[in-house]
Amino acid sequence: MSKKNIVLKSSNGIIFEVEEAVALQSETIPYMIEDDCANDTIPLANVTGDILALVIEYCKKHVVVADGDGGGSSSSSQEDLKNWDAQFMNDLDQSKIFNLLLAADFLNIKTLFDLTCQFVADTMIKGKSVEEVRRTLNIEKDYTSEEEAKARQENEWAFK
Amino acid sequence: MKEIAMFYGCKNSQHLLNEIGRSFVSPLSLPLCLIFLQMAEDRVNVVVHWEKMEIDILVRIFQKCFSLQELVNSGSAHVCRGWRAACCDPTLWNTLDLSHMKSHFIKVQQKPFVYVESRFDENLTRLLKLSMSLSKGNTMTLIVHFNLFLSDDMLTYTAIRCPNLRRLVLPAWNRIKKKSLANVMECCKSLESLTMPSIPHPYVVFSAIAMNCKNFRELKVMGPIDLSFVEVLVYLLPNLNVISLRCTSIYRDALVTILDKLKRLQVLNISHSYLLVQRYEPKQETIIVRELDETIMNKASKLKRFITCMEHDTCVMCQRTEKDEGIMRWYKYEEGLWKADEFMNLYATT
Repeated sequence: MSKKNIVLKSSNGIIFEVEEAVALQSETIPYMIEDDCANDTIPLANVTGDILALVIEYCKKHVVVADGDGGGSSSSSQEDLKNWDAQFMNDLDQSKIFNLLLAADFLNIKTLFDLTCQFVADTMIKGKSVEEVRRTLNIEKDYTSEEEAKARQENEWAFK
Repeated sequence: MKEIAMFYGCKNSQHLLNEIGRSFVSPLSLPLCLIFLQMAEDRVNVVVHWEKMEIDILVRIFQKCFSLQELVNSGSAHVCRGWRAACCDPTLWNTLDLSHMKSHFIKVQQKPFVYVESRFDENLTRLLKLSMSLSKGNTMTLIVHFNLFLSDDMLTYTAIRCPNLRRLVLPAWNRIKKKSLANVMECCKSLESLTMPSIPHPYVVFSAIAMNCKNFRELKVMGPIDLSFVEVLVYLLPNLNVISLRCTSIYRDALVTILDKLKRLQVLNISHSYLLVQRYEPKQETIIVRELDETIMNKASKLKRFITCMEHDTCVMCQRTEKDEGIMRWYKYEEGLWKADEFMNLYATT
């Protein structure tokens, strides 16, 4: 089987050349190839170079395992992959996570999208108070005081 | 950042950076360096504003990673307007799934036979209140665990706010008056499917269904079935399409009445149930029948699907039904087993 390479170009003009199998983990890219929206280079207007690098790192890791001996279904490799995923997410700062989420959605890479969603939910939202969530995620309170009062009422322990 | 730079007599942050670089050898600059590093760290964090995250993606985070309790307890709906909009997305509220929640209760001798800890009720009230204000009337399916004992108030509050409810799975009526259930039917005129316990006098409830819910067509009863129950059923709800009476005891004459009187019945599920026959001669007794006779099979031949399982020797579920005398002790068995149904539409799942 000959290995075909695909060239991806980030929004800020950085070029990445990857094996086809790596790129095809994205369900968006095949359409872009079909549409012939690029002769050789596929432009990704929504993804910056640093984020695309992360996406490719993730896809490379996952394509290797999918190709690996035993079809990648052996429990040890699954376990390794899980640990790798956890480490991968842990190393990212918030701005990267934010943009990775958008990129995984745009490129339609389901496993990466799910992984990022779960990480955001577990580390940034669950078990945190409203104030803590706002602080963690730099969210400005845009409620009026009336809306705040209504929200408090919603949280009361009796029907009224 | 700029203020700090100016404080140190620099034009802007770039200038400050240069100054730091140059003055690195001076011991006096150390506090300046520390301040700068702190500021740089803050800056990285300020870059993204999560209130600008696409609502569609937030909705999917809530959908994939949060249970109902987690969503409500997380306070996500109160973070900002964007998040609230995400929390109100109809896809999150299509099904209100309380099938994993059990009341903290003890059994008592008198009606309603359960005593629920008040703290638990308060929390459940809060959960329902917030759910109802986020769901904005979009809930079509409500599933309640067999050990989650809603009070009259809770049920009424919820029903009023679910005008589009199509399906109600409510196996525990201990604390609910029949009149409240009749109110539910008045609020939820689109109701098509009900899962209920077997009760002695179903007239009030069935007549409320008949009067209000024109599209009602599926009924699942969890508990023993006798002739008096079925007579009310066929009289008030003659147009039913689907009935499930699985894992229980059914009087044979009740089964025959269902088959004779419900002309539009298409699906009947009596899997793992056994029949009871009342005998008077030579002495009065109730005997258990573990097979379907020819009369029943003939009458059932007009159905599209007649789902049965009477394998007392080999089937675990059939054995359990008989051991529990038709009143399944679901709490003893695998988590979620009570939700099962051989007729997939009645499977209580999201």
